[in-house]
Amino acid sequence: MTAAPRADDLPALAERIVRFGRSCGADEVEVSVGEGTEFSVDVRLGEVENLVEAGSRSLGLRVIKDEKTAYASSSDLDEDTLKRLVRNAVRRAECASRDAFSALPPLSKRKVDPAALSIYDPEVGRLDSKTKIGLALETERIALSDARITNSYGANFVTNDGTAVLANSKGFLGRFQKTYCSLSVGLQAGATDERVEDFWFSSQTRFGALETPEQIARTAVERTVRQLRPRKIKTQRVPVIFEPMMTSGLLGFLFSCVAGTAVYQKSSFLAGRLGRRIAAPAVTVVDDGLLPAKLGTSPFDAEGVPTRRTVVVRKGVLASYLCNTYAARKLKLKSTGNADGGGVGPNNFYLEAGPHAPADIIRSCEKGLLLVRTLGHGLNPVTGDISRGAFGLWIEKGEIAYPVSEVTISGNLGELLKNVEMVGSDLEFRGSVCGPTIKVSEMMVAGT
Amino acid sequence: MTDRRPDPKAFPRIPYEDHFRLSLSDLQRILGIAQSSGGRFAEVFLEYRIYSFVLMEEDILKETAETISLGAGIRVVSGEKTGFGYTNDLAFDKIRSAALSAAAIAASPTTSKVVDFKAALSPRNVYRAREVPSRAPLEKKIGLVRDAYAFCRKASRAVKKAKASLQDSVQYVMIANSDGLLVTDARPMVKLTCLAIAEKGRSREYGFSGGGGRVGLEYFASERTPRTIGEEAAREARGLLEARPAPAGEMPVVLSPGHAGVLIHEAVGHLLEADFNRKKTSVFWDKFGRKVGSELITIYDDPTIPAFRGSYNIDDEGTVPRKTLLIEKGVIKGLLQDRLSAGLMNMPLTGHARRQDFSDIPIPRMANTYIDKGGDDPADIIRSVKKGFYADRFQGGQVEDSGKFTFSVSSGFLIENGKLTAPVKQATLIGSNVDILAKIERVGHDLTFGLQTGTCSKEGQDVPVTDGCPTLKISMMTVGGLEE
Repeated sequence: MTAAPRADDLPALAERIVRFGRSCGADEVEVSVGEGTEFSVDVRLGEVENLVEAGSRSLGLRVIKDEKTAYASSSDLDEDTLKRLVRNAVRRAECASRDAFSALPPLSKRKVDPAALSIYDPEVGRLDSKTKIGLALETERIALSDARITNSYGANFVTNDGTAVLANSKGFLGRFQKTYCSLSVGLQAGATDERVEDFWFSSQTRFGALETPEQIARTAVERTVRQLRPRKIKTQRVPVIFEPMMTSGLLGFLFSCVAGTAVYQKSSFLAGRLGRRIAAPAVTVVDDGLLPAKLGTSPFDAEGVPTRRTVVVRKGVLASYLCNTYAARKLKLKSTGNADGGGVGPNNFYLEAGPHAPADIIRSCEKGLLLVRTLGHGLNPVTGDISRGAFGLWIEKGEIAYPVSEVTISGNLGELLKNVEMVGSDLEFRGSVCGPTIKVSEMMVAGT
Repeated sequence: MTDRRPDPKAFPRIPYEDHFRLSLSDLQRILGIAQSSGGRFAEVFLEYRIYSFVLMEEDILKETAETISLGAGIRVVSGEKTGFGYTNDLAFDKIRSAALSAAAIAASPTTSKVVDFKAALSPRNVYRAREVPSRAPLEKKIGLVRDAYAFCRKASRAVKKAKASLQDSVQYVMIANSDGLLVTDARPMVKLTCLAIAEKGRSREYGFSGGGGRVGLEYFASERTPRTIGEEAAREARGLLEARPAPAGEMPVVLSPGHAGVLIHEAVGHLLEADFNRKKTSVFWDKFGRKVGSELITIYDDPTIPAFRGSYNIDDEGTVPRKTLLIEKGVIKGLLQDRLSAGLMNMPLTGHARRQDFSDIPIPRMANTYIDKGGDDPADIIRSVKKGFYADRFQGGQVEDSGKFTFSVSSGFLIENGKLTAPVKQATLIGSNVDILAKIERVGHDLTFGLQTGTCSKEGQDVPVTDGCPTLKISMMTVGGLEE
């Protein structure tokens, strides 16, 4: 049994495994090594419930031989285990089909300096347990001090501190560190048989940017109690306003439809639509891996391609798909720096803010649904069809009238994008996929 | 029947020591360190898993992958508090440091006594893997994938794309705790799935099928062949090309047997997980022993059904699981328990503690959940509906603790004058569980289980599950489709 490598040795380990792969007969080898420490505390009703502290490592591997690919990964970094894994992978590659599109990306001249991206905050690692537990306790305490809150799912504070290393046989070697912290609380209001629930959170790469316990608790309380005493509504077609969290969900669906993998497989309704109008002129969607300090920011993607800013939808026109090297070669495009694991993933994928204050968007609505939460899965990238359970606030004469529940919304992403009438000014980067408030002119809302 | 005799093989020799390289005295020392701050209960969970993946798409064998997971999770429980540490480096000092992280939850340093491991009872073996996939030649797995792919493409000219994959794993676990339990398990799993995309003019639809479970590759020669799986996926995709949008509004709904088990999983199963009831967040927390639904329904969760995807010999705390009655004739009779909740609620263990892997804390989960068969003829049930919706195939669902749930129907039929008529697609059913349970007015005699491909997510942890039900009629439910 060989000793496990130290953190400083991870680039050396990655390069050693690359060389070993070549010596086993692979034409191309790519090795990623991740190392991280995790802290997580759950508190509930004023007491610590779970306290987790841990460190973990893993290594991922891709080999290509005669245009045939195999993958492997391991959380056991024992070098004998890794070498066996590499030998197996080369042998498995021989069983795969030849695929002329398989290749590592060419070595890029452009380099992104990880330090310039501000995604590593040393303060995160320095926080002591007491401070971290205290933040969670304080957030829940403030929320529970509101008499309308009847139960708590608890508050949670999480930090991660990780290092990513990537090396390949084209000569790429990159390394960056990234931190993450998040504070959240989940609440219930109302008696047992009339319960409503919601939560709120803040997550950031930098501790200093996190919202305060007070802000998070107040927002969670408001979001929960506004759903009390819901009514059912009649089935009808009405304008639907998406709150930022709901727009973010929609953007996640759009991402899966502009991902190069779905496009070359023709499993996206947006395949073959490049350069065509797919949305209202108010819609501009961007993927940007270089935004400082954001959750989806990194200097290079999972294949070592430097990240960049890509306009995906420009004023309603589909301007670009998002690709890893494989999808790009399939589609005769260039990688956009979106490789993620074996597939395609977002960097910071967002709908650009528009000119309208959210309150004005609500005021513009004679009758409609303000969508605040959805439940369920019904998204079909092949057709763009959307069908989900929904919770919302009913709007009458430009004002919020009452909450509604047990309704479903149905539509089609293609139609919906064309029907975006207003885009809000309230874009916030709460996750790596996000958007502001939007108003869609019409959707089917099914009730009684 | 569960065999209760001690298994001579489980003690004192430790199987899998090649993976874990820990002796009995190492385990005793780790548990001692974990309890050094006074924790009432300590546990070491060791896991070694080998996973393999074969993928065919675009007419080529595109990818194979192998993943090794190795690690230890150490848990200390003190009252309602849990301290947890994990590591994937099994060097003793790394495990010791994880044990110290876990120990920190308790705050009254003590010198604990050395654990004395007792001989374990041997559970009944519910795994049915003769040809264990992790030891089968890669060429054989590739053959299954190629066959499913080829039969799917051949099944219809409308099928323009297909994707077939085989995933298999074997998970070795060893669990030792401060009560003296020391048990091991080796859990096989395999899944063959096929996705078809059919096109006609500008419309494009997809279909899905699969099979597997705690079985070996021999399953695909007899139970569900690659041909069946490939052709079913093709048939669903092609069928949807002819389907029209689902109706919208409230109407009677008939649920097809098997696939609709996901409704029970969402509407009932989750909210009878003990943690949600102990914390009083579940709508059921104050309804134990009370009637919450129609007298026609009786619901079980049974982790001991041989070969099923959701089954296991021991749960992830080492408890031998039992077939658990959840609802009898509409009355709540049981909860799905783990050690923490069972202890705090003073209720018996049921063997439903599960974790995604060593880096997660175990929580109460479902295994194989189903509504027991009733007395009605399925054809009579359909005949009893003048105008309604027949929900046939499902994609999944979601529930919140208030009991509001949804589930997504990928295909179904209109029911008109007691007959299935036009095929329809894509609808979401939404309801509130207490309301829906009361509205179940017919239960068929055709209990069926869904595809052995399901995965359930809770608190970020995914575990394999199966669910089932007979044909059911719900007198009135909101269907969210596109057509008025």
